[in-house]
Amino acid sequence: MNIIRIPTALRPYAENNREYESSAATVGEALQQLLAAYPALQPHLLDEEGELRAYVNLFINEDEASSFGGQQAPLKPGDRLLIVPSIAGGAQEPPPTLTDDPGPTSPASNPTLVDHAALKTNQALIILLLLAAFLADLAWLVLAVGLVMAIGTALARPGFLPVYRLLKSRRLVKADPIPDAPQPHRFAQGLGAAVLLAANTAFWAVLPALGWGLVWLVIALAALNLFGGFCVGCALYYWLGRMGLRGFGPQPGASAGSAGELSGE
Amino acid sequence: MSLRISRQLLTRIEEHLEQVYPEEGAGMIVGLENASGRQALDLIPLPNQRQEAERHHRYLLSPQALLEAEVSAEARGLDIIGVFHSHPDHPARPSEFDRSWALPWYSYVITSVRQGAARESRSWRLLDDRSAFSEETIESDDHRPFLEK
Repeated sequence: MNIIRIPTALRPYAENNREYESSAATVGEALQQLLAAYPALQPHLLDEEGELRAYVNLFINEDEASSFGGQQAPLKPGDRLLIVPSIAGGAQEPPPTLTDDPGPTSPASNPTLVDHAALKTNQALIILLLLAAFLADLAWLVLAVGLVMAIGTALARPGFLPVYRLLKSRRLVKADPIPDAPQPHRFAQGLGAAVLLAANTAFWAVLPALGWGLVWLVIALAALNLFGGFCVGCALYYWLGRMGLRGFGPQPGASAGSAGELSGE
Repeated sequence: MSLRISRQLLTRIEEHLEQVYPEEGAGMIVGLENASGRQALDLIPLPNQRQEAERHHRYLLSPQALLEAEVSAEARGLDIIGVFHSHPDHPARPSEFDRSWALPWYSYVITSVRQGAARESRSWRLLDDRSAFSEETIESDDHRPFLEK
């Protein structure tokens, strides 16, 4: 004899039994015996064509029966045949795409949610690290922040996104998705990276006053964005669009609000 | 037909589903059913096994995870009595996809999470003929239906 284990949800259709003893020599035969004993199980194990439903998984002891031929797999006396469902589901229609990675999608054709908490975390880290660089006179830290921002821009995401995700996973920050266009934020971050790389060139040319002046410009613009909600880089992006420059959006989308409401860097 | 669940457990469900937003989150509900009704007593949040690109509107819990959950619940003298999952930016109603994958008997608690915040939780059971879900009442500590906040 072998044992068929019935999952909890199907036990009411098998007279509340947890297990069924079968004398079957194969998995298919065991299922036939089970269904003959408890016909009410049939609609939940088999579909209209008589095939096993997609959520039904069969294990022989610890191993998937599919590895041994599925319903043709042999059963030995003492084997346990486990019927184990996969649990699945989901919302009817795909919702608008949320991105904390500002990317190249058009808000008009494909409404996008931009996670402004990711942008604000990015801005806060830029400000803190650049202030630390200034106070400790660490030009290399300016270069590092600039490179992180440049790489983030190239990957179409906030440079410090991994830090944001870590903070979010520890529930220290909460997502703040807002229908928005991601491109201006990407542009603004790229602009900040360019200014920081220019600052490093100034350091290299032994022009520290110019270098730190550029660093403070980035700090000020990031702070204006973080605390004042005004994204200068985004405003510049839309201005370039209105000037007819290719690759720049002409103006904020209806869902994105005015440039003054955008926050990104 | 109703599901009794404490406010504390409902809050744990909400917090888990908010944490994984904008992806769908899910897990098992551990509890008891007897003559006096169905009572949720614990939760087992589980990782969504769908591919990353699908997780915003689909969830999948592996059979191994369900088996482990059943065995551990049975060892405590309890059962898996249902499943909770989120519908990010969608209503707390079962979809056709939910129906096609649903098991009978389970309570399916669906939480609508909008803009990262849990808004509404409702519970459903699949009809025996698998044609549709029927809503069951959620009875919480304060005996109020747990609906739109």
